Amino acid sequence: MVKSMSDFQPKIIALVCNWCTYTAADLAGTSRLSYPANIRMIRMMCTGMIDPKYILKAFLDGADGVFIGGCHPGDCHYINGNLKFKKRMAGMEAIIKQFGFDENRLRLRWIGASEGPEFQHNMTDFIQTIQDMGPSPAQGIMVL
Amino acid sequence: MSVYAMVKDTSVTEAVKAALTKLISQDLVDAVLVAAKSPYSALPMPTLFANAEAMDGIDPLAPAAPFNAARQAATVSRQATGKRLALVLRPCEIRALIELVKLNQCTLENVVLIGIECLGRMENEVFLRHAAAQGDVTAEFLKNTSLQDDITRTCKMCEQFEPAHADIVMSTLGMAENSVLFASGSETGEALLKELGLSPAEKPAERETVTKQLLEKRAAFKKEVFAETSEKINSIEKFEEMIGTCLNCYNCRQACPVCYCKECVFLTDVFSARPETLLRRAQKRGSVKLPTDTSMFHLTRLSHIAHACVGCGQCSSVCPSNIPVADIFTTVAAQVQARYDYVPGRDVQEPIPYLMFEEKQKSGEPK
Repeated sequence: MVKSMSDFQPKIIALVCNWCTYTAADLAGTSRLSYPANIRMIRMMCTGMIDPKYILKAFLDGADGVFIGGCHPGDCHYINGNLKFKKRMAGMEAIIKQFGFDENRLRLRWIGASEGPEFQHNMTDFIQTIQDMGPSPAQGIMVL
Repeated sequence: MSVYAMVKDTSVTEAVKAALTKLISQDLVDAVLVAAKSPYSALPMPTLFANAEAMDGIDPLAPAAPFNAARQAATVSRQATGKRLALVLRPCEIRALIELVKLNQCTLENVVLIGIECLGRMENEVFLRHAAAQGDVTAEFLKNTSLQDDITRTCKMCEQFEPAHADIVMSTLGMAENSVLFASGSETGEALLKELGLSPAEKPAERETVTKQLLEKRAAFKKEVFAETSEKINSIEKFEEMIGTCLNCYNCRQACPVCYCKECVFLTDVFSARPETLLRRAQKRGSVKLPTDTSMFHLTRLSHIAHACVGCGQCSSVCPSNIPVADIFTTVAAQVQARYDYVPGRDVQEPIPYLMFEEKQKSGEPK
């Protein structure tokens, strides 16, 4: 049963780096910057540890979008984990696209620890993008 | 420039045997890994020979390969032993072996790679049926084109039947009956061919035409399979239809030469759900099919190894549910490899794409 577009509330998984985007989210919180409550945030130690299967699991379990937030290039706490993950993105996009997921449902952005307003902006924007796209094709079907 | 030599004997298998036994009898290598029939079955299995007299059953050109021998080749070349090894492999096996070298699973130090020009392999039961009907399937296969239509679906779409990266290449396309062409692919190969003392030969003129024709035929079929498969899996629902009968036996993973992890995550606690988890999932979604995480398994494997898929088709061959796993994998792999401009097995020096990233990248939006 697919709900009508207007009352569709996207479920978005955000895999965010402990050292930057998670801190930015914290900053957004303490600065009382609000954004819609569609984001389920999972704190990682680094985007470099994001195995493609975390993203696949989110999509197969019905996430409408997956957001990945990492440190700006050069700022990685582990030197280059963020760039390693970025390299993985191209393959992931090709794979999810082939299986019928719009590749824009997966987004990677660099958000530094001090960028609370950027975090708010990115969340609002991604939620809006997914809202416009509608529910994920894995919603409402039996995924084996 | 390659050096060419030719061996003619009573059959191609005898011709190959005549040359390969010399490798050991002339002390050019210490051991040879090559597919050989056992006294118990006509199906050739990778066998390590250290004695030329024992090499009676070798049959590397037989149109059968019960598995991609790259893993076995990697087992014998896991560390350099100080001994010189010759590995006789198919092109897809060499490509997989090169990927395993990059993954630090084995070394090519002191290894001579002897590639065979591969016209395809049959499924085991098809090969055994032919073997029962006529003794020498290899000879029959190489001259009878109707038999060549019995090769696997994945072999029919393989354009890389000429081994790249081999020190010596053994081929039969365009050759006279019962003779095999040996071509050098490296300086090591050239030196070996000279030491073997095989009769020098010219590259036969018709080889080019025959190779080109085969290549065109394969390319056309590949295009067809890619178009068909990509349409069949363009939604997650259609993909579920394709894998609906999957048993989670993980045979495809076991048969995959580049799926190299010693401990697969799908055998760990991560994917062994506790009963309460299963009940909770069932309550949430109404039902849970068991075993769980079938789609997760295939998609995860794709995301882990699509860049390295050499298109050997063993995953389809071992599937008890006849799922066209190789169709799915080769189709998706082609797209992933195109994005990284990466061809597995192309060059042992070419790093795995995931390990290549720009250290000094401009800051800003990552797209």
